[in-house]
Amino acid sequence: MASSASLAVPADPLSGRGLSMVRRVLLGALVLFAIVFPFVFTNPATTSIAMFTLLYVGASSAWNTFSGFTGYMALGNAVFYGSGAYAFANLASHLHLNGGMGIFALVPVAGLIAGLVALPVGWLALRTRRHTFVVITIAIFFIFQLLAYNLHALTNGSSGMSLPIPPWDAQTYNTYFYLAALVVAVVAVAVAWVVRRSSFGLELLAIRDDEDRALGLGVRTTKVKLATFVLTGFLTGMCGAIYAYYLGSIYPPFAFEAIFDVTIALMAFFGGLGTISGPVIGALILEPVQQYITLRFTAGGFSLIAFGVLFLIVIRFMPEGIVPSLAGVLRRRLRARAEGGASPQSSDSPPPGTTVSAAGVAGGVRS
Amino acid sequence: MHQLVKGDERKVKIPGVLPRWRAVAVLGAVALLAAACGSSGNSGSGSAKGPIKIGVSLSLTGDFSADGKAFQQGYQLWAKQTNADGGLLGRQVTLDIVNDASSPVQVATNYQKLISVDHVDLVFGPFSTGLTKASSQVVNRYGYAFVEGAGGGPSVFTSGLHNVFDVSLPVANNLVSFAKWVAAMPASERPKTAAYATQDDPFTAPQLDAARKILEPAGVQTVYNKTYPSETTDYSPIAAGIISAKADIVLVGTLLPDVSAFVKQFVQQNYNPKALIATAGPDQGAQFIQNVGANRTEGIMVPNGWYPTADNPGNADMVKAYIAQYGGTAAEVSSDVPEAYSVGEVTAQAVKNNGSLDQAKLIKELHSSTFDSVQGKVKFDSTGQNVDAFSFVFQWQGKDLVPFKPDANSLLVPVPPETRKIQYPKQTW
Amino acid sequence: MGTELSKAVVDGVLTGGVYALMAAGLTLIFGVMEIINIAQGIFVVLAAYLSYVLQVHLGIDPFIGLVFTMPLMFGVGVLIEWGFVRRLKAQNRSALSILVTFAVAIVIEGILTQFFSADLRIIKAWYVDKSVHVFGFYLPYIYLLGFALAVVLLAALYVFLYRSRSGKSIRASVQNRTGAELIGININRVSAITFGIGAAVTAAGGMVFGATNSFNPNSGYDLISRLLVIVVLGGLGSIGGALVAAVAALVIEDVTAVLWSPIWASTMFFAVLVLVLLVRPNGLFGQAAVRAQ
Repeated sequence: MASSASLAVPADPLSGRGLSMVRRVLLGALVLFAIVFPFVFTNPATTSIAMFTLLYVGASSAWNTFSGFTGYMALGNAVFYGSGAYAFANLASHLHLNGGMGIFALVPVAGLIAGLVALPVGWLALRTRRHTFVVITIAIFFIFQLLAYNLHALTNGSSGMSLPIPPWDAQTYNTYFYLAALVVAVVAVAVAWVVRRSSFGLELLAIRDDEDRALGLGVRTTKVKLATFVLTGFLTGMCGAIYAYYLGSIYPPFAFEAIFDVTIALMAFFGGLGTISGPVIGALILEPVQQYITLRFTAGGFSLIAFGVLFLIVIRFMPEGIVPSLAGVLRRRLRARAEGGASPQSSDSPPPGTTVSAAGVAGGVRS
Repeated sequence: MHQLVKGDERKVKIPGVLPRWRAVAVLGAVALLAAACGSSGNSGSGSAKGPIKIGVSLSLTGDFSADGKAFQQGYQLWAKQTNADGGLLGRQVTLDIVNDASSPVQVATNYQKLISVDHVDLVFGPFSTGLTKASSQVVNRYGYAFVEGAGGGPSVFTSGLHNVFDVSLPVANNLVSFAKWVAAMPASERPKTAAYATQDDPFTAPQLDAARKILEPAGVQTVYNKTYPSETTDYSPIAAGIISAKADIVLVGTLLPDVSAFVKQFVQQNYNPKALIATAGPDQGAQFIQNVGANRTEGIMVPNGWYPTADNPGNADMVKAYIAQYGGTAAEVSSDVPEAYSVGEVTAQAVKNNGSLDQAKLIKELHSSTFDSVQGKVKFDSTGQNVDAFSFVFQWQGKDLVPFKPDANSLLVPVPPETRKIQYPKQTW
Repeated sequence: MGTELSKAVVDGVLTGGVYALMAAGLTLIFGVMEIINIAQGIFVVLAAYLSYVLQVHLGIDPFIGLVFTMPLMFGVGVLIEWGFVRRLKAQNRSALSILVTFAVAIVIEGILTQFFSADLRIIKAWYVDKSVHVFGFYLPYIYLLGFALAVVLLAALYVFLYRSRSGKSIRASVQNRTGAELIGININRVSAITFGIGAAVTAAGGMVFGATNSFNPNSGYDLISRLLVIVVLGGLGSIGGALVAAVAALVIEDVTAVLWSPIWASTMFFAVLVLVLLVRPNGLFGQAAVRAQ
């Protein structure tokens, strides 16, 4: 790609060194808004869309933590989503648990199992690079989908599995799942943030930048990549577990869905690849819009055309995704304003978009 | 936006950082609000004055889009007929149909939207076992009765829900009439061996399992039994396997493309089983003839709970209305259409019997009475499966698909006015 | 078992030819432009509909109809390249191309749904249901014709790439994009032509697909993953590789179905693919990536 080893630091609010007071307040307000949301907008149709949106925030953010930071485009994360879903279904049925709050404790366990699945998958897939990696992840996805049909002992084959039904009524049912999904989504974003700020994150960026050079500078690329891949598997598996519990039943094509593979990647691209807030914004916009458009247009063709055209417009005008593109616009406005009025303000961190050598930084961290 | 930037300038130390966070918050709020507003846009009319609103989620795009469309036609034909007959409880009926794109995520949202936002008075089922199962729990939470016609896989009825009612023949029982007929044959005539091949699909696979459980104890040995993925496009290895097993009778769990492929191969390899029955495909009239060739259909069998000329109340009218509206011939009416139509009929009868739209009463009524439909009598057991439904067995003879039904001794007898006898063994190709 | 096995191999080879025809455009576009054309699946379906319309409404034989559908699809390809693909920035180009072509695919799917509804269709011709008996095998005409068409078109493409001036420009771009630009090759023009040719070849693949499979606007999804996997196994940009990989894929699946079980057929193919790529990351006939530097 780029001929030099430099790269644009993703224009991202959370990539700074610390959180300023103002940002803390705003972030807190956002989380608070998310928490009270289902109590303000109580309509189950709204909370249903919101719940799925949060699952996608979590899954897309997890995807971005690996693929966005390392540049390895994985198109098979439904492997972990499905593994998490089936792990949850199996745990619930073998432990003979009844539906209710307590069973949410199994979500992290299902996530761990999905993470365990990610270990051999990553070990295998990460021996390749670039396009080959993309296709290997697709191939592994299909192998898992076929296994879900064929390993009857674990999945009950095409007849599917049922999950315990929680005793909640229609008005409160979604709220429990919404809050569980919110926890997972916040965890996924927090993990992305922590990874991004750590020297570990810089090593990931160095790999995206120029893997051979990163290796030369002493980054243990294989270990770093595999660890992140497993982390992604864990987070995605938790999302899959909540999804299965919410639906109440799981079938191979629901759990291992090719559209899911593409959707979470599209959300990250849409919002801004490799940024913390990009996948969050991508999911917050795309999932509600897609569900709304699908619901709205009964003539099937129109919903597809509307969604596709929306996509093309955004790509046309914001080719880098919403966050970096909007950031660019705002930055230009600010600069114009600053030049017209007061002198530029001093800053304790490089402005976003500034070019630094990540490989150099990573190397520096290690030495 | 203008105001926003101005505010930032005053407070912020790091230019260019805060605005984005604001943007995040604003965009997020906008997105969520859009969802909220969008779904509360059509406030419902649950009043007792206007038309009765019926909510349906159908797969108008995605994997099930072909069936979804046929189901839509069935529901619309029923609504049109009902309104022409003066409506339900003296009110007109309107269908509120939304698209679920064959996705379980969307179907879950859709029924919540139909009930809690559109305030529909009744809901009808979607297409496919998986989507029916996913939505049945949603509908159950609201205490609505969920009458459906295409969610017949056994897994739908094992959740212990009391609000699900499938008006169609339980999927697993499709081949039972055929299997019992074979098992009841005198030992000298009865086939010694059978071959089974089916798509890995919750619709076809249980049918073959049920048949095998009847045939094996009756002494019909299983010599070939394989399942293949439903995405298979090349069926020749499976056909070759059946042929080399040299079974007396062949049972296949198929749709049109795979049964056509099997027949072609059997003809080419000159393999003549004494009976050949397919779960679906041979029932598709003109298309089946086109696919296998006009002189090759003789003797092939298919089970079904319905056929275009069946002597059920309202059936002839429905078929006529279908042709008037969508064209084609009676033989071309998809069996999805009467399935959807029956959902409307059964629900309407239960509502009329009660004289109200009260859901709890509706569920009770559905569990206790017997109903008429274009597919025949409907009576639900405690799990919601239609116990009065039985499968006819159809056999191609000449240009016709001749219907047979089981008598008291499990023998297959022609359905009057038809007098032709069932052909066994099947004539050679 | 012996005849079953040899029949599986013959069937696999013939069906593989059809898949190669569908995959050729994808590998060409991928090889020259580093564009992952997710819309390839819907291109196949679109082409099938074009042939279907000509056959049903104008009574034109689907093979003869290619005279019309191939130029039409060429136009579609050029239009999409000019309208969307060309505007992508160099950075993240491959990755962004997934996004753009996915959006294009759903728009085309939407338009097809609007025009043709979701009904399943199949292209008919007198020879579609006929077969010929050779060496104890029954070989369907349509697969024989499809295979022959695949060989002829892929050979023509090969000759074009290696003999003609445009072809040489295209190959130069495969090997070194910047270098090609430096020696005065108009990359935009080459890209447009490549996309057009890719789509035009797909017109033929789509026609045979539509004559051998029932299709509706949703059929593109099952295809794209399969085609993507085939072109990577063959080696990106290698036309011959696509043919070999497609045939290998179908033969492996058919033989597995006979020797073991049909439900493991695809699993076996994907497992073989993973193994091959671990040993040869650039596929069977791929060149080592030199452009990264």
